[in-house]
Amino acid sequence: MKNSFGQLIYFGRKLLFFLASVFLLSVAVFYISRLAPGDPLVSYYGDRVEKMSPEERVWAEEKLGLNDPIFVQYIRWLENAFHGDFGISYKYKMDVAEVISARIGNTLILGGIGFLLIFGLALLLGILCAWYEDRMLDRIICGIGTVTSCIPEFWLSLVLILIFAVNLKWLPSSGAYAIGEADRLGSRILHLILPMTVVVMGHLWYYAYMIRNKILEEVRADYVLLAKAKGLKKQSVMLRHCLRNVIPSYLSIMAISVPHILGGTYIVETVFSYPGIGTLSYESARYKDYNLVMLLCILSGIVVIFCNMAAQIINEKISPRMKSDAVTVPAEVTKV
Amino acid sequence: MREQFEMVGIRQMPKEETSPKEKWYYGKPVLAVAVLTIIIIGCLFCNLIMTKDPAYLDLENCNVPPCREFLFGTDAMGRDIFSMIWYGGRISLFIGIVATLISTVVAIIFGAVSGSAPKWADTLLMRFTDLLISVPGLLVIILLQAIWGKAGVLSLSIVIGITSWTAVAKVVRTEVLRLRGSEYVIASKCMGGGFFHVLWKHLTPNFIASIMFMVVMNIRNAIIAESTLSFMGIGLPVGVISWGSMLSLAEQALLTNAWWMIVIPGVFLLVTLLCITSIGNYIRKKVNRRQSNL
Repeated sequence: MKNSFGQLIYFGRKLLFFLASVFLLSVAVFYISRLAPGDPLVSYYGDRVEKMSPEERVWAEEKLGLNDPIFVQYIRWLENAFHGDFGISYKYKMDVAEVISARIGNTLILGGIGFLLIFGLALLLGILCAWYEDRMLDRIICGIGTVTSCIPEFWLSLVLILIFAVNLKWLPSSGAYAIGEADRLGSRILHLILPMTVVVMGHLWYYAYMIRNKILEEVRADYVLLAKAKGLKKQSVMLRHCLRNVIPSYLSIMAISVPHILGGTYIVETVFSYPGIGTLSYESARYKDYNLVMLLCILSGIVVIFCNMAAQIINEKISPRMKSDAVTVPAEVTKV
Repeated sequence: MREQFEMVGIRQMPKEETSPKEKWYYGKPVLAVAVLTIIIIGCLFCNLIMTKDPAYLDLENCNVPPCREFLFGTDAMGRDIFSMIWYGGRISLFIGIVATLISTVVAIIFGAVSGSAPKWADTLLMRFTDLLISVPGLLVIILLQAIWGKAGVLSLSIVIGITSWTAVAKVVRTEVLRLRGSEYVIASKCMGGGFFHVLWKHLTPNFIASIMFMVVMNIRNAIIAESTLSFMGIGLPVGVISWGSMLSLAEQALLTNAWWMIVIPGVFLLVTLLCITSIGNYIRKKVNRRQSNL
């Protein structure tokens, strides 16, 4: 009974921290986006803004509610947001939530499948390299891996488009599906191959190398000596003992990496003109589509904070010493 | 007399002479350093190498593939790519170094403050850093730059710099926590040494080695960030030549299948990044590794 009450408090505190973070984030984004230079009217009225008289401008700003002090605007936005109304997008003239929900699926497919692929392949490659430590295979994989981890994502996308779309004409270079074939699975898969390759290649080696080094660290621990003295085979020592010690911290690192991998898809989306959240947030930040920026930032923020908490909880489960301590992100988890 | 007794104990083995016959360069990234030096010198003294004026729009010779006159071809605006690479490399490298300087200074100060602050302030600052770490850096840079609008070389360096200090700051903090109780730090404080004096004279020399790897990697990341931003059209404009802005014409190059516009600047970029990475890896490997128990 006492235990469950303690858990309730534990999760209550987490929830409180979560809500406070989201609130602070929304205030920060609201102020930054509005104080930054730029004209939101352009995104609503397009080029017509240049021909507007000052009176028309005032009228337009009033219509969009932009002439109040930022504080008042924020309170109004917050009130509406609690009723599920996040305002309209200036550019698309639709409800912001609708604009996003039309596109979020594409990003989730790209990011989600990419994430799973990275997760699995990194584990395999890491084990393979650790198994053949400092031998030929390990060196070759490490060499290739280092090279791939250096390639900027956008350039890899360009080269792939150049080879497979422009010259060989095997794969399409942009979009999420051919025109009029939105429901055909084959078309979607064809359009996914190139962006997915870039997403996976951009991150894979980073995590694989981490796994490799973590296993190699484990291999140097004393219990391995004992297991070996007992007569266990290399295979069972590495896979059943070392790997078991590596997996939990890998899980927590992968949890933190979710936003990074999603962030990686943003660039890929832009290069491949893949209709996802990435292109949308870039546009909206650039053209001051305030309501859209707000909701996108808050959504990303929620993902980030949530994943961070998941990692923290996993870490606390692994070693109870870490309780009440912040997530200790290993220094390596800092890829741009 | 002596021969009657036999020595017992550890058997004396003739010591095997392990003369360090390894060459001085063994295990060192000589090739990377050499190539990087060539690239840097080429960029610094680009006036001597360039065959054309990199900014000159030779409209009669647009999209020329590599030939004897234009060694690497020309881009869609008729500029000579060979000259542009050396000329533009300056800006790419400059941004990489300046951004890293900014981020390192911020990181050292932030980490030192956090490490020497009382526990609650330390926790607060580290929470903040953790949140920043989990936000993808490039995304923040893109958003900041998109909001900021027109970018210059310096503003880009600043934006990249202030978004990439977090990891280094964490390491600095850990090191400061470890070092701040040492006798020499306390002695220096007792003699009236200020915060920055202690930081610069006593702490920095001790933790500089452990952040070196990350600092080198930050140079690499800054160059990647610059080129990505410029490519996407929110970094440097096409008029300011850098490796990234050269690639921002890639869309047209794809249409005309002008591979040299994409591949050549990209290869230069990639080689530079590889050199920096292998130097960074060498620094990291110097932290010795123990023998495997398997």
